[in-house]
Amino acid sequence: MKEPFRQRVARRHVGGYRPRIDGMEKASGRARYADDLTRAESFPGLLYAKVLRSPYPHARVRSIDTTAAEALPGVKAVLTYRDPEVARLKATSAGWTDGVDTVSYDRMMWKRYRDRRVLGDKACWVGDEVGAVVAAESEETAEEALRLLKIDWEVLPFVLDPLEAMKPGSPVIHPEIASGNVMPPDDIGGPDVFLDKGDAEKALSEAEVTVEGTSIHHNATQASLDPWCCVVDWKADRLTMWSNSYEADQSRMHIATMLDIPLNRIRVISSYVGGQFGRGDTGDQPFFLFTALLAKKTGRPVKFKHTRRESFHDTRQPAIYHGRAGARKDGTITALSFRCVGNAGAYADHSMFALKFAPVEVAEVALAHVPNVRFEARGVYTNKIPGCMMRGVGNSQLNLILGHIVDLLAEKLGLDPLEVALKNFGHECGGLPDKSLAAVLQAGAEKIGWKEKRHAPGRGPVFPPDGRRGVGFSCHPGWHAEWQEVRRGEVQVRITLNPDGTVTLDAPTVETGTGSNTCNVLGCAEALSFLDLAPEDIHWVQMVDTDTSVKDCVQTDSSVSYLQSEVMALAARELKERILERAARKFDAAPADLDVSGGRVFPRAQPARGIAVRELLLEPDLVPITVTRSRRPPGDKTGVPFFATFAEVEVDTGTGKVRVLHLAMVNDCGTVMYASGAEAQQIGGQCMGLGEALSEEIVYDRATGVPLNFNWIDYTIPTMADMPDIDPVLLEVWRGNGEYGACGIGEGTVTCTPRAVLNAVYNAIGVRIDEIPVKPEKVLRALGKA
Amino acid sequence: MPSRKKAAGRSGSQHAASRSRPRPQARVPFRDAAPQPAAVRITVNGTGYEFLADRDLPCNMTLAALLREKLGFTGLKVSCDEGACGACTVLLDGRAVLSCMMLAVEADGHEVLTIEGLPADDPVIRAFAEQSEPGYGTALQCGYCTPGFVMTARALLNENPAPTLEEVKEALSGNICRCGCYAGIAQAVLRASRMIRERGGRP
Repeated sequence: MKEPFRQRVARRHVGGYRPRIDGMEKASGRARYADDLTRAESFPGLLYAKVLRSPYPHARVRSIDTTAAEALPGVKAVLTYRDPEVARLKATSAGWTDGVDTVSYDRMMWKRYRDRRVLGDKACWVGDEVGAVVAAESEETAEEALRLLKIDWEVLPFVLDPLEAMKPGSPVIHPEIASGNVMPPDDIGGPDVFLDKGDAEKALSEAEVTVEGTSIHHNATQASLDPWCCVVDWKADRLTMWSNSYEADQSRMHIATMLDIPLNRIRVISSYVGGQFGRGDTGDQPFFLFTALLAKKTGRPVKFKHTRRESFHDTRQPAIYHGRAGARKDGTITALSFRCVGNAGAYADHSMFALKFAPVEVAEVALAHVPNVRFEARGVYTNKIPGCMMRGVGNSQLNLILGHIVDLLAEKLGLDPLEVALKNFGHECGGLPDKSLAAVLQAGAEKIGWKEKRHAPGRGPVFPPDGRRGVGFSCHPGWHAEWQEVRRGEVQVRITLNPDGTVTLDAPTVETGTGSNTCNVLGCAEALSFLDLAPEDIHWVQMVDTDTSVKDCVQTDSSVSYLQSEVMALAARELKERILERAARKFDAAPADLDVSGGRVFPRAQPARGIAVRELLLEPDLVPITVTRSRRPPGDKTGVPFFATFAEVEVDTGTGKVRVLHLAMVNDCGTVMYASGAEAQQIGGQCMGLGEALSEEIVYDRATGVPLNFNWIDYTIPTMADMPDIDPVLLEVWRGNGEYGACGIGEGTVTCTPRAVLNAVYNAIGVRIDEIPVKPEKVLRALGKA
Repeated sequence: MPSRKKAAGRSGSQHAASRSRPRPQARVPFRDAAPQPAAVRITVNGTGYEFLADRDLPCNMTLAALLREKLGFTGLKVSCDEGACGACTVLLDGRAVLSCMMLAVEADGHEVLTIEGLPADDPVIRAFAEQSEPGYGTALQCGYCTPGFVMTARALLNENPAPTLEEVKEALSGNICRCGCYAGIAQAVLRASRMIRERGGRP
């Protein structure tokens, strides 16, 4: 039995260890996902769509002859880039189809980089959707039809490496946006030097000690088990889409604008989704649009679903970071300067979020006390798979260099790196040392046995025959406090108190696995504690349906878990007032003279005269009490909590294999909303982080630009046998605004793992490896053995 | 629609599940070789189904496609479709097989158990659903891999009712949980094992 976390404030429901509300439904196989809801049996006449994908990393379609494909029995429609309904579709950016907010076309986040066409004539990576799409009676027939297309390709020169792509004379991928492949600055991200506080160069030249280093983050992919899937039915003036998008309202907005249909004639239905991890950041979402156009053309429902190979459509953005730091001998950092080149791949998507937006947030909340800070970044187009919005966007890449600099500086100064972090990192709302960071580092150090196990680099005991052990850590500020979620706009919930006293909770958000549904029910039970409800008395409406739901809270940023609960606290207050109004008639008294508690409503002066709320509601008209509330997250800055990963590794210096022995993940949450769910996120994040650190990587054939491992045999995701013992530690130290003052944690749990492992590897063998994943050949090369 | 009848014992020869997978275009020379379509009899969750090969059961159809698309057993998931993730795991004569890697016709004469065939109070299902012990997280998050894990765990506990943690890790290392709930899953399997033993060994 491991130790449970300790609540700062005792609460009845919020913060509990308990099963997920969907545990039984999912464990028994009854939970329905998009692919389960859209079987042919439920959709008479269902057709299947397949889209042409480029076999070349860079090419243009000169022409497509569709004659043979259209003549194939079973083929019902072929659409190409030349068809007017396709050609008229506006260029888009994934900054619109993926975001935390529901916005119109004109308000999309990265307007400067509208580089995606729904079905263009230009292909920018191997696998790019291009040119033509087919609807047929079966998937096999649709695939066969694609093979029968006669395509005249103009094959163009390509470039995979961002540093090569920046050189003059390199093939240019989006000449209309970036004449030399370097994405131009935009309004939101700012100039190339997007943060320049004090004078970093001067401070570096005057510093008592300086260090510099490089960190290269790679291109792991989200790898959700549930491949993208949708069915569109478009009959008369009504379009209905079932999908596993994680944002129903934004999908509706997207379809409405692009296809010019009023919002009320579009219905988007989302059920359970088998994992998100940021995969929404993809221009592939236009597949909603071509599926819709095929449905219109054929008059039949059309299904589109990714194969596993096609599900490789987005990655973390690979980033080469160079960092320099200046410090005093006591460990006080006087200057930090970072330069970054991000490989955006074929499309910009949220590149500037990763490269600029996220680092600005980190600087604001963690580097507030460093007087001289400079950040410079460039996003570069290449002919690789687009990369950006994976779990921990931008923060994972930045942490890899930040944790590196801390370790380098500590070594040079002969200090403990924990001390260096504590001495320097904190937000502007608080002093140093930051209380949250101090608590997090202390807890992690205890769990991993930092004092006993940390030794001089490469000087630890040998574990025969060739094992060397070491420990390392990395820490990072959270980025999902409520004040950082203002751009979401209003968050909505609707609570219905049924005549029998049970509750139906419409807190719409697509359940992608995060556990926010359980948080919602616990938050609702907590808010309605005056009704004395058990979580089982609350029915959480699982399906998001834009016809019946209020606006869904987009399932990003790990913060849905508390954002909707904050609104529920307000809604519950209103619900109480409505109960009192109704009771006022019954008791012939003013609402102010009545109260509700323990599931009973009563006159304050004569509690004994009270009746059960249920009895009040079961009056003859049987009208439920429904309350809908919206709340915009308040923008008052409260700082953020910190988190950290600690790792112990054993490196086999004979084979180069790195074995992680133990991980400790420590999160200050502000308030833990649901302990079992939060620990599942902490543990699960280590799994994904360890994949990024040790094994996951998309490999390209440099001669042809063809990715070689778009499958799960060669792209290696950690399994149960690969995972070490993990200690999840939850803390409540920092506090934000609102009823709970919580902070999303799930996304960040992957962020520190690669750097913690790299620092532990250095501690073990005394040789630094700058690039993840740390595969055996890299270790052997670093040791001079290969 | 396939004809349905009560299970009447096994027919056809027993053969090991093939791990090969049909290529999309592979032509199975069944039609030429057998002028009379062969009957394929498969028992799923205790109910017998009979198909005519290459008539109502294409010879290149995988067992996963038959179970999901034709028969509606959607608990199993097709995720990687190449035997790497285990989400499509079902039991064939009590042993775990990957239904995306096996042709439906290969199940002729065999008994298939999908997650829908487990009793509602199955200890493995309950243990996965209820896992919330401090320090290990839940045994599922998005739930997409869960039916595959449950069936693999079921097969393990059929063979080895009291596995050690190492044995659980070994047996379940062919399944991928991208949410990374491995610690909770291992706890759930160990707990299911205890629940089965407390019931006197009855699954």
